[in-house]
Amino acid sequence: MVDLTTRVGPLRFKNPVTVASGTFGVKDELKAFVDYRKLGAVIAKTITLRARAGNPMPRIYETPAGMLNAIGLQNKGLEDFIQNKIPHFKKHRIPLIVNIAGETTEEFITLARALERHRKEITALELNLSCPNVEKGGVRAIREEKLISKTIQAVRKNTQLFIFAKLSPELGDVVETAHEAVRSGANGLSLINTLRGMAVNIYSRKPQIAAGTGGLSGPAIRPIALRYVWEVKRALPKIPVIASGGITTWKDAIEFLIAGADMIAVGTANFVNPRATMDILEGIQNFCRKQKIKSLSELRGTLVIPHRRP
Amino acid sequence: MRDETVTVLDNHKINAEYYQISFRSKFLARNVHPGQFLHIQITPTQDPFLRRPFSYYRIRGEVVDVLYEVLGPGTEILSGLGKGGQLRVLGPLGRPFSEKIKAKKRILVGGGVGVPPLAFVAERYGCHRFFIGTKSRKQILPSKEIQKFRRQVFYSTDDGSYGTKGFVTKLLEKFFKNEVKNPADYFVQTCGPTGMMERVLEISRRYGIRGEASWEERMACGLGVCLGCMVKTHKGWTPSCTEGPVFRFDEMAHG
Repeated sequence: MVDLTTRVGPLRFKNPVTVASGTFGVKDELKAFVDYRKLGAVIAKTITLRARAGNPMPRIYETPAGMLNAIGLQNKGLEDFIQNKIPHFKKHRIPLIVNIAGETTEEFITLARALERHRKEITALELNLSCPNVEKGGVRAIREEKLISKTIQAVRKNTQLFIFAKLSPELGDVVETAHEAVRSGANGLSLINTLRGMAVNIYSRKPQIAAGTGGLSGPAIRPIALRYVWEVKRALPKIPVIASGGITTWKDAIEFLIAGADMIAVGTANFVNPRATMDILEGIQNFCRKQKIKSLSELRGTLVIPHRRP
Repeated sequence: MRDETVTVLDNHKINAEYYQISFRSKFLARNVHPGQFLHIQITPTQDPFLRRPFSYYRIRGEVVDVLYEVLGPGTEILSGLGKGGQLRVLGPLGRPFSEKIKAKKRILVGGGVGVPPLAFVAERYGCHRFFIGTKSRKQILPSKEIQKFRRQVFYSTDDGSYGTKGFVTKLLEKFFKNEVKNPADYFVQTCGPTGMMERVLEISRRYGIRGEASWEERMACGLGVCLGCMVKTHKGWTPSCTEGPVFRFDEMAHG
């Protein structure tokens, strides 16, 4: 057995495989296919202070090698999460990373304080600073109102939990944003969220997504995600990064590890192959065994860049 | 529910619009009920990426026949698959049409691609009437496909090239008007375009007749995870893949 233990600051995961928020349900919806205890961690679907109904239909549309979605953060809210979801993960000893989104900085603070009281049952927080599908607190508002520092600082003051800031290129230059997030108190980064895109029905001339635009995910965005992970890890080598963006097979996961990713979050692939996380985990193990890699540190951040030609 | 790799036995065009693809699966043949769906990954390459949901057509022994229309790049690839080709099939998924309806007379109302799942209902559970609406004669199912219940079938086409001219809901309304004395004797099961089903819902409610509709929205995961395929019920947005696709009229917030 290859040692896949992954250290992220003070945190220790049994392996680097996790899931992108919103692609894995809120509890154990995929239990027929997934042994949750085998995962490095589960990142739950974004929770907001109050329950949210989400956007009208259609919410999704398939595009080349990917899909657009505008779910609109449908969830049952903080109280339900604390009552019904946290105990479930605790009981089954599944490391839980809680993804939160607030419409305002005050909401982020309330969420952080409430979850701080459950610090022992939670592994880390992930701040959704890049949702493309909501108005208040979404990627546009965070960018335009320059809320990144303010939000992260506010959460930092109210929790001792490890904080991952989930970023997207739509917040501005990713490396600069990453620096800003870390300066503001983020311990780690999640790269990347979906990229806003659209598709049009040429007969009705309406957008294929009721909300107009949606977040593009899937293999279509993988090269973009990979490049950002690499650039950020090059600029901030000591800051842990959870990589996401079209990771579908174990080969994709290995690519991201070589580029420097600390954790691998499987997203849209869960919709196609509910066993994707398990397959990727097995694939990483087999690859390491065949390549005689004993620990992931022999692989992580080892990208070989050939000399540039004149 | 399982995710199986199956081998295509046969794949051919059955009329101007529909294809039928067949494969062997002992598990699905035993466990599938009319109204449920199969979530099929057509190609292992990453484009097209998502699976596609298909309502069943029929079970013959251990063979599953799925009827489909070529609507986009996914079904285009599917139509080109020959004998020996492989598919990944996840299913059976979703809530089926009710077998026990607590009514004497089962009334089926199908439109377009919504007809095959109801043909499966008619074959398994029988029916009092089966109203079928299509655009034209071209989409009519070959007669051998409806052999067992052909006496109960009434057709309408938009262009009048077969059966009564006009919408299938016109046939339904006329039938209710002429025949219904005790609404509790009847139970409607419908599948088809949204506009048609909304009309079926409206007419049935007006006559006080209970029923079920197969309400499908665009779907990604099929397992209640992505929250893409929500249907508005009295409980709020509900995933049609796990709570549906078949909903009782009294559950639905439509109309």
